[in-house]
Amino acid sequence: MRLKSNSNINGRLWGWDPPLKSSYDAVIIGGGLHGLATAYFLARHHGMSSVAVIEKRYIGFGGSGRNTAIVRANQRTQENLPLYKEALEMWPVLTRELDFNLMFYNCGNLNLAHSEAALKAMRLQVASAQFHGIQSQMVDPKQCKTLIPALDISDRPRYPIYGGMYHPPGGIVRHDAVVWGLAKGAARKGIHIHQGTEVKGMGVKNQKIVSVETDKGKINTSRVLNAAGGYSAALSYQMLGIRLPISVLTIQAMVTQPLKPLLNHVVSSGAYHCYANQTLKGEIATGAHMDPWPNYTNQSTARYIKHQAEAVTEFLPCLKGVKFMRIWGGLADMTPDMAPIINGNDPIKGYYIDCGWGYFGFKSCLVTGKYMAKFMADGTCPNILKPFTLRRFEQHRLMGETAAVVNYSPDN
Amino acid sequence: MAFTITCPVCGIRRGYEFRFGGEDKGPRPPEENLTSETWCEYVHMNNCIAGIQKEWWFHRDGCGSWFTIYRDTTTNQQVENR
Repeated sequence: MRLKSNSNINGRLWGWDPPLKSSYDAVIIGGGLHGLATAYFLARHHGMSSVAVIEKRYIGFGGSGRNTAIVRANQRTQENLPLYKEALEMWPVLTRELDFNLMFYNCGNLNLAHSEAALKAMRLQVASAQFHGIQSQMVDPKQCKTLIPALDISDRPRYPIYGGMYHPPGGIVRHDAVVWGLAKGAARKGIHIHQGTEVKGMGVKNQKIVSVETDKGKINTSRVLNAAGGYSAALSYQMLGIRLPISVLTIQAMVTQPLKPLLNHVVSSGAYHCYANQTLKGEIATGAHMDPWPNYTNQSTARYIKHQAEAVTEFLPCLKGVKFMRIWGGLADMTPDMAPIINGNDPIKGYYIDCGWGYFGFKSCLVTGKYMAKFMADGTCPNILKPFTLRRFEQHRLMGETAAVVNYSPDN
Repeated sequence: MAFTITCPVCGIRRGYEFRFGGEDKGPRPPEENLTSETWCEYVHMNNCIAGIQKEWWFHRDGCGSWFTIYRDTTTNQQVENR
């Protein structure tokens, strides 16, 4: 499906529609945030500008434009924390560098605990974050109420608030702005972004990538990055026979009608499985739910509109009677340990994978793009990305990131 | 359209009564001479087909049967067993 307006979008953003060349130094499959960020950093840090980003629909069609735009660095495991810490520090830097307002609003994240057990888990998570130099602290119910006066900290809700974990440097970023800013920045450095172009296959000779087939023609290349988000596992299996430990689920989110400012932090709750923040337009953006079986529908379901309304009004009762305006779904590629898969040159030389982010793909895009570009330029995996190898599953080295959030894989 | 699954015992029921049980990966590999790679393939790896796949379901809020169906993952519609 090629949109007629593509050339207009290109025209406004980066001036021209590049021709599809018959050869590139690297081809990136997927014009989402991870693909665009990798392309941008390949050009910026490694002087590679003969790079094509191949996007089947339009840039930002997938998870990049469907997430709830929340960023934070208070993950749980030692492998993940440094990555997300650097990711969070990159937003203001990239805003300047791209000369594009990414609308980073570091309003802070408050994660609620509704039991002693949840508080205990948070203490560990806070201590791990602090050990890595990430601002994160425990707060009691009164402090939660000071942060968000609209919270109901009484014992009325079914799961009363026992306390929380407050992470001041987190917040929200305008996700579309990141897509456009990176695309513009990459195109300015000579990267070719081909929207409405579908990858049909990959050529492999002697266990090495030699080409990528698209519906617009064949591209000779020695390096391919699979950054197709929710579609990456299907693509990997279909085109190269490489299976990935991924389940693709549809995650749903929704926004209410715009309201006067009442929620000045991102608030989330594991027990209610719900997160909410107020956008700059005044809408309460909330979500988190998944139907727990793999599908590619991007559908939203009545069941979760109801659940979301019940959950969010339990701890923010002032939202009762407020109407939802929009609901949407996006694909999340879930791994068994809730940590991504970053792989390269194994088992096929020149085939790189950056996927399995589940619902952490937005906040990690810049930092992963930076290191993935280094990986693709030198052919050696940077230390910070090494723990995320695909081999960890057969080596039984799954990470403990599942404990940081409600596990929504169908495996449990 | 509502998502329904046909249980071999209870017939057509609402999808939320069931729990997804994973892609059909054939029989469990024999324990003898089992390598980490083979076990990992069986336990973790998926085909993630965008289209019709054979998969396991468990009638959690019903009769408790485990059974396989074919379902189109792009529409959530169960298709005739083949």
